Amino acid sequence: MIDDTRLIELINISKSFGDTHVLKNINLYIRRKEFVTLLGPSGCGKTTMLRIIGGFESADEGQLIFDGKDLSSVPPYKRRVNTVFQKYALFTHMNVFDNVAFGLKLKKPEELLPGEKKPTRRQIKEEIKRRVMRMLKLVKMDAYAKRGVDQLSGGQQQRIAIARALVNEPEVLLLDEPLGALDLKLRREMQLELKSMQQQLGITFIYVTHDQEEALTMSDTIVVLNAGEIQQIGDGKSIYDEPNNAFVANFIGDSNILEAVMVKDYEVFAAGRSFECVDEGFAENEPVDMVVRPEDIMLVGEDVGMLTGEVKSVLFKGVHYEMFVEAAGIRWKVHSTTMYPVGSRVGLTVVPSNIHIMHKMADEDAYVGVPIQKSEAGQ
Amino acid sequence: MVKLKRFFVGLKGSYIALILLFLYSPIAVMIAFSFNEGKSRAKWEGFSFKWYARLFENADILDALKVTLIVAAIATVVSVILGTLGAIGIHACKKGYASAMINLSYLPMTMPDIVTGVSLMMMFTFSLPMINPILSDISAWLSALFKKDIDLTIERGMFTMILAHITFDTPYVLFSVLPKLKQMDPNSYEAALDLGCRPMTAIRKVIIPEISPGIITGALLALTMSLDDFVISYFTTEKTQNLSILVYSAAKRGVKPDIYALSTIMFLTVLALLIVVNKRSTLEDIG
Amino acid sequence: MKRSYFSGPYALWMILFTIFPIVFVGLYAITVRNETANSLYAGLKNISEIFANKGTYMKVLWRSITLAFECTLICLFLGYPCAYFLASKEFAKYKTLFVLILLPMWMNFLLRTYASMGLLERNGIINTIVTSLGFERLDLIGTRGAVLYGMIYNYLPFMVLPIHTSLKKMDRRVIEAAQDLGANPLRVFYKVTLPLSVPGIISGITMVFMPSVTTFAISGLLGSGNFMLIGDVIEAQFMQANNWNFGSALSLFMTALILLSIGLLNRLDAGKNSERSEKW
Repeated sequence: MIDDTRLIELINISKSFGDTHVLKNINLYIRRKEFVTLLGPSGCGKTTMLRIIGGFESADEGQLIFDGKDLSSVPPYKRRVNTVFQKYALFTHMNVFDNVAFGLKLKKPEELLPGEKKPTRRQIKEEIKRRVMRMLKLVKMDAYAKRGVDQLSGGQQQRIAIARALVNEPEVLLLDEPLGALDLKLRREMQLELKSMQQQLGITFIYVTHDQEEALTMSDTIVVLNAGEIQQIGDGKSIYDEPNNAFVANFIGDSNILEAVMVKDYEVFAAGRSFECVDEGFAENEPVDMVVRPEDIMLVGEDVGMLTGEVKSVLFKGVHYEMFVEAAGIRWKVHSTTMYPVGSRVGLTVVPSNIHIMHKMADEDAYVGVPIQKSEAGQ
Repeated sequence: MVKLKRFFVGLKGSYIALILLFLYSPIAVMIAFSFNEGKSRAKWEGFSFKWYARLFENADILDALKVTLIVAAIATVVSVILGTLGAIGIHACKKGYASAMINLSYLPMTMPDIVTGVSLMMMFTFSLPMINPILSDISAWLSALFKKDIDLTIERGMFTMILAHITFDTPYVLFSVLPKLKQMDPNSYEAALDLGCRPMTAIRKVIIPEISPGIITGALLALTMSLDDFVISYFTTEKTQNLSILVYSAAKRGVKPDIYALSTIMFLTVLALLIVVNKRSTLEDIG
Repeated sequence: MKRSYFSGPYALWMILFTIFPIVFVGLYAITVRNETANSLYAGLKNISEIFANKGTYMKVLWRSITLAFECTLICLFLGYPCAYFLASKEFAKYKTLFVLILLPMWMNFLLRTYASMGLLERNGIINTIVTSLGFERLDLIGTRGAVLYGMIYNYLPFMVLPIHTSLKKMDRRVIEAAQDLGANPLRVFYKVTLPLSVPGIISGITMVFMPSVTTFAISGLLGSGNFMLIGDVIEAQFMQANNWNFGSALSLFMTALILLSIGLLNRLDAGKNSERSEKW
């Protein structure tokens, strides 16, 4: 399982392209054998971070430590890191086998066959073949070794790109939205496969995606990025249940975000009434954001709820119904397996542990482009 | 209805045929009469290779042939190297510099041939007298060193013609290679570095093979353009003649069957080359 | 080493052999040689000479432009149907036909002109046919018509190519949509096909007009030197009269004229289609 040693450390990393600050003072460490996902909307700097680790981009400021040594000035071909690129970047002039063998052929004979004193050409060739075929078997592509890469489907090219990187036995595999081009079903399949591959091989994976569901499915640790800054680091559950701020709450899953005031410990005032909550340590009467997940709102009889409202719309989402309920001047998004018809009066209830209180974000910019419930309230 | 449609298809076909007739009849006549026994370019007097045989007895023509081939060969090799490296470099450049270079490369392609020709002619005539004294000093020194007669001085002749041909050939190579680079996955080069290639190895093992169809097309085009050029060659040489210049001076004296034969050979050579180029990529993509 | 450095030798070459020579043309154009003192001085005499000299050069220029204009117009009317038919459903599959039309474009114009000389000359094949039919021998070579013929013959493929490309690039569904909306074939053509092929027409006009206005040798060979064009005058200034300054001025003037007309045509085009500027 995950080691406790820090394999990669990013210390105060900053990077700009022209006038755009893509990364602002990033601090992060990644442990050995960890599956880390860099999650964020497009343009948040996650790919740039990956490219800095891969060596294709250098940071303007800060240090990149790999296994205790500064890696900043080491070119990509000397890093013990391999990358799976977004559009795979397979070599179209080579067949599947040669693509996968590419990295091995560049290795010195003694690296390939550490036991042999003076390996013959034939031995080297055999060894390369053995390793390539083993890797192709792992990605279930051994039957396609002699195919040209342009004859493969997207999913198959994907597997080859992974095999080509993994065959070099990197300590870290970088994946830049590798499943972005695949259809939903195939993507789900590959997510599970990638995860099991990672566990089987015991390699550190750094995975870039904008798909929160993908991140939650696969990762040991999720790093949520926005506008070049880390918003939150944690495992899927803690990020989902205890988002640090409104951005994270809204980006990971659906949320109702309300402007609220923390009256005192364990009591918050919002939507015209007080709610009991489990948060403490805020200043008295501090303005805060209050987050309630749609699935945490229970619809009950009109007279027994904390708030009373009217169902405005209903959508069937497969497993549950998504309803918008207007109560206390706010439009609430509610997920429920029971359907209440439009126009019916309902009561809304939340248990204290499902109310999440977070500090107001200092940087108002972080709200840009994020639709927040409060803005809909006025409608 | 079907009949009417057929009629229209026939009409279209005949029109295309007429245009082809217009384009090819002079050439067909030329080729046919290059095999004529007699001197006439209108009356058929029997088939013979007489005029072709005569070509190979003519020392001037053989010299011109030699010049044409040497110039084409050297210009092609140099322009392929310059153009391919140039394309790789431009492709990796920042946008502003890249578009400046590309516009600069369009210049010799859009400039009238005659202006390119005279501009190069002026530059050569102006600069050679300044360079030659230095070259002659170097030659004297080298001659003494190797106890052999070495003359490095340059005249307006084959050497300047080669320089001129490289100049107009290279953009063709560049514009054959650039689209291939654009088609490449932008991460291919990085993937090669990622897998352990040094930058030079990555270029040799990944970029060059991926763009090689473009390089070969560019080389064939450069060869064709070079074999085919008249105007620029005409202005950049003084006494040395290539085949085009020879045909021109002969044409000024009127039509001769031996020049028919020579033209036929040149024409068919270029035709063959162009068909090969076209098999590889469509000419329209480059033109 | 950065990959962008690879463009270094190419950039150097282009500066040495493209920019430099053009600078020479410019410098020569604005300097005048004083034969007696054997010295050079700056002046615009060469430029003014183009307009002076009893309009001799203006006449040549006018002749070049009108001939090139006629040639362009005829090429357009001959070439458009050809490109259109070649792009049509029935003929699009015969790629060879199109290649055949295209091939002469890449071949030495001198050889093609030489071949047409053989057709037109006094004892050439046309006259042989004409006289054998009992008609009087025609004076073909040495006429303005012969020069025009030579130009059309040389530059027709340059018109067909871009028009054909623009027609081929056209989304067939647009035409089908027009038909679906009830337009008859003629209407489809001038409401949809023709407007969409305008970029092709414009680049065709550029590609024919430009070389035909600057051409040299065609009029010398087919017009027997009776119809000197601007290209011939430039050639004469360099190769016979040895007046490089005036030759440069003429070259500069001609280049400016061409760049101006290309610019105008492109502006016309820019309103219709901005795609071409993205080509590179």
